[in-house]
Formats: sequence, structure tokens, C-alpha cells
Amino acid sequence: MKLSAKYNRINIAATIAVFILGSVCYYFVLRYVLIHQLDQSLHSEQQEISQYVNAHGILPEIENTKEQKTSFAPVAVLPAKPIAKSVQLYNDLEKENELCRQYIFPLKAGNKDYTVTVTKSQEETEDLIQIIILITILMVALVLLVNFIINRKVLSRLWNPFYTTVNYIKGYHLSGSEGLHLEKTDLDEFSLLNESLNQMSLRAHNDYTVLKKFTENAAHEMQTPLAVIRSKTEVMMQGAELKESSMQHLKEIEDAALKLGKLHQSLLLLAKLENNQFVPGEKVDLKKIITEKINEKQDLFQARHLILQTSLEEVTVSFHTHLAEILITNLLNNALRYTPAGGQVMITLTGDALVITNTAFNDALDKSSIFQRFYKPENSPEGTGLGLAIVKEICVTAGFSIDYFYADKEHIFVIKFKSIY
Amino acid sequence: MKILIAEDEKILNESMVSYLSGSGYVCESVFTYSAALEKIDNYAYDCIVLDIMLPGGTGLQLLKYLKEDRKTDGVIIISAKDGLEDKLSGFKLGADDYLTKPFHLSELSMRIEAIIRRRNFNGQSVITAGNIEVDIQSKTMLANKKNVDLTQKEFQLLLYLLINKNRILSKNAIARHLWGDDMDYADNYDFIYTHIKNLRRKIISAGGDDCIRSVYAMGYKLQTP
Repeated sequence: MKLSAKYNRINIAATIAVFILGSVCYYFVLRYVLIHQLDQSLHSEQQEISQYVNAHGILPEIENTKEQKTSFAPVAVLPAKPIAKSVQLYNDLEKENELCRQYIFPLKAGNKDYTVTVTKSQEETEDLIQIIILITILMVALVLLVNFIINRKVLSRLWNPFYTTVNYIKGYHLSGSEGLHLEKTDLDEFSLLNESLNQMSLRAHNDYTVLKKFTENAAHEMQTPLAVIRSKTEVMMQGAELKESSMQHLKEIEDAALKLGKLHQSLLLLAKLENNQFVPGEKVDLKKIITEKINEKQDLFQARHLILQTSLEEVTVSFHTHLAEILITNLLNNALRYTPAGGQVMITLTGDALVITNTAFNDALDKSSIFQRFYKPENSPEGTGLGLAIVKEICVTAGFSIDYFYADKEHIFVIKFKSIY
Repeated sequence: MKILIAEDEKILNESMVSYLSGSGYVCESVFTYSAALEKIDNYAYDCIVLDIMLPGGTGLQLLKYLKEDRKTDGVIIISAKDGLEDKLSGFKLGADDYLTKPFHLSELSMRIEAIIRRRNFNGQSVITAGNIEVDIQSKTMLANKKNVDLTQKEFQLLLYLLINKNRILSKNAIARHLWGDDMDYADNYDFIYTHIKNLRRKIISAGGDDCIRSVYAMGYKLQTP
């Protein structure tokens, strides 16, 4: 929900609640005041009658009008106090019940006791209350409407700098320019936001640069001794007529150095992927890359007597050429390494997915850990254990999804290009 | 053939000199930027092996200087930085080749040979060993004056052995030379054996000298008589 919508909702609900409560109070207060006024006029009527009775000793002649009626009733026992009450009475003129206010008070005239009932119509008072309430409701509605419109128009304009900032951030990438350069706005809050974002992005960019430098330097510092080991074994190898056992040792040193180099490269690549040092966005022709890589490895497939089948459509995705090559290479290496001799490898490329299927050595692999680093299933040929972790990380970077299935003694890897977000 | 090796890691520099001298090159070593600059200013080389990170400056700066000065020395950049940018800017500045550390010395030797051959236009493109002749330009091979049909991989393999003749090439080095650095299938190098076997068979049946030896545990070498 949008902030303005949420704000509007709360605002309107609160306003309505306040107005309803106010209206109720207003109604009762107004009613009380008006009825009090009515009672006052009834009371003055009582005084007039009392004065008359005191002066003359007899009941006055009353001329009943439409608005006011007075009646006398002799009683045996006088009530202690006068009573004021509202009652429904039948109106002869209008042939309907109407609300009336009655004031009943005791009166002594001569030796007789009477109760005097003065009745006044309350309808007019009610009408007045109704009109006042109606006007109030209309006013409330008007106030709400105006409030709503103002909020809508003004708020959306007030939030403009926010959306500008958001759009700017969306297009920003750490590896790109040096920090954000968001401008000041005439609103303090957004200026504060922009300034904080500028500072934060600058810090993030600096951290990023330091990390990038570090990984590059680490690469340099580690590859150099590795290069020394490899070059020395190579030079030693040429040493005239080495013993066979020495040759074996040298070979093992070279193998280990190669493996270490490979591991180091893979970990570095993973670090770079995690630092988002690759920005996908190039148009990459996947069919071309797959075909190239398959051609490079044709011999290897043949050497292992693997049957390679392909079904490739022309597919161009938004990706990163270097990453695409690594992805395909890793998947092919994987298939080469983990397919038993004479097995089958099937590569299918369609508009929305790349599927690689290969005959399995054993049973299904553990789906939850297959993409983890250094995952090595039992009884499997030795690899670095990083190939699929890299594949997974590349898919994450590119916004692809990757899944593993096992069916009919085959491992199936499915990469879907449709963005998973 | 004179080669300048600018690499600050002394042991690595030494290894390169040792290996390349054995291939008949005259090598000079420098370990710093300023020393390299001095050598470049005073002498001409057929090929310069340039490390990107040198004390006092970068190999790329040296490369820029070389090209601005219109020197014709061939340049091969070696770097531990796998960074794509370095590679691209290296080529942009006019480097002839780029090798990522660590590399096989035999591969370096091969690349240097290729650079020198490309630069010397009048240089011969035929390499011989015994009665085997390989023409690099036309990609043909004669054994005992008879034309031998080789597959592309067999040709590459033979050339690699020839250029590093009398050197033992490990199976790892051969696999990486023929199938690239991302070659990861190290458990079993039978497929190299297959190529070697086919190559030898073709040479022998044409009457050529059987000069390819297998070296126990390690790999192969081409032995010239």
C-alpha cells in the first residue's frame, strides 16, 4: 500500500470518528439547550398562572393555542415537585402523534388542589435539531472531500523527490560510478535521505573498491608462488635422466600445483561473483557459445566414448559473455567428468531454458547440497567441488534459476532464463 | 634471438631464463621498472616478456612507452591478474600476447616463438627435426619428403613438441595447450595418448623419423637425433 493511501485511510478514518463523536455530543448538547429553553418558557407559564391564582384565588381562563395547551386537573394529594417530560400526544389538527413537552406542577386555587399541565409542541425543536445536524453532516462530508483531494494532489507532489531518488538508486551499480550524486531538495527530510544515501553509497563504493583490490592483489600474491612451483617443476623435469620415482614425484607436485591454481581461481571467481563485480546486460548468443565450447571439447567426449546429443535453438539472453562461457564450460566439464564411459549427454537449448542431461554413475545426488561449495558425492571422480557452486552463483548473478532433477538414471540440470524475481 | 624478461619474482625470472636459454634464446633479466626502461631504451629485443606488476611502475606503462617510441619489439604480457580489463587494455596498447600466471614454460616458449615468427616477415616458417618438416604458414607437414595428413589437433601437438624439442612436456601442459586453460579433466589423459599414437603412426608409415618419446609418468618429448 502506498504511504499516501495509508495516510489518507488513517486520516479519513480519524476524521470521520472525530466528526461522528462530535456530532453525537453536539446533538445531545444542542438538544439539552433547546429543551432547557422550552422548559424555561413552560416555567414562566407556570409563574404567570401562579401569580394569577395568587392574585385572584381562582384558576385563570386559558385559551389554548396551537402551540400551547394548558389543562387543570383536581387531585386529592398534591405532587411534591413539578415534573417536566416529553410525551407523544395526538394532535387533532394534524391527525397524528407528535412529540410534546409537558410541564406538570401542583397548584392550590382556593381550597382545592390541582395539577396544572402545560403542554408545548416539541416538533419545532426537533426540526431545528434535524436541520442543524444535516448541515453539520454536509459540512463534514465537504471537509473530508476537500481534505482527500488536497492530500492526493499535494502529497503526490511532495513525494516527487522520493521517486526521483528511488529511480536513481535503481539505476545505480556499485561497480560503476563513484557513489551516488543525489541533489538537495527543498524538503529537509528528502535532503537528509539523499545526503545519507550519498554517504552510504560512497562508503559502500570504497569498501567495494578495497575488496576488489584485495582480491586482485591476493590473486597476484598467490599466483606468483604457484607460478614459481610450476616453473621449477618444469625446469627440474628437463634435468637429464631423472629416476622414475623422481618423475612420479614431480608429476604429483605439478598436478597438485595445477589443482591449487584451479581452486584458487575458482574461489576468486566466486568472490567476484558475490561482490557483484560482473554486471549482466550484454546480449549473449548462447547457441554460439555452446557450439564453440562443444567443438573445443569434442575430442574429450570422444575419448570417453560419450554420446553427445544437442538440440539448440537460436537464443539471445541478457547476460555477460565471460560468465556465459564459464557457465557452459563448467556444465560441460561436469558432464564429462560425471558421466560413465559410454554414457549419454544431452544438451537442449530453448527460448526459456537450457537443459543438460547426463547418464548417472550412481543414484540421485543430494538436491539440497549439490550446489554447495566443496560438495563431493561418494565414489565420484575427483574434482574441485566448486564447479556447480560457480554455476549456481552465475545463475544468481544473471537472474536465472537453476534446478536439479534425477530421473531414469539420469542427472538433469535445468536453467531457466526467465527472471525469478 | 634476444629476449628481455621483466619479472620481479626472482625465482620465476630465473626459471624462465633457464628454460628459454635452453631453447636457444639469449635472455636478459630485469626485476624493476626502471631497469626495464633502461634496457628498452638502449637495446632492441625480438621479444619482451613483461610482468604487469613491477616495482616502480607497471608493465602496461612500459608497453605504452614502447609503442609511443615506435619500437618494434614483440611484447608478451604475463600477469597474475586474471582481470579481463588488464587483458583488454594490454591488447589495446599493442601487446602481442597475454599469459595468465601460472603458466607452463613450454607454453611461454611456444608463444614467444609465434610472436618472433610473426614479426620476422622474411623469417622462414618451416621447422625441421630429423627428416620431419613442418610449415607453420601452410599448416602442412612433410615426413621423409612425403606429405602427411594431420588433423588440426595432431598438427598443434606436433608443433608444440617441435618448438619445445628435446624438452619433456607434461601431459598437463599438453592438455592445456591443446584444449585451453579451462581444461579441467585431469583424471585421465588417455586421449593425449591416442593423439600421440596416431601422430607417431602417421609419421612412421610415411617413413619419417620416430622421434617422439614417452617419458615415464610425466609426458612426452620430441628427441632430435
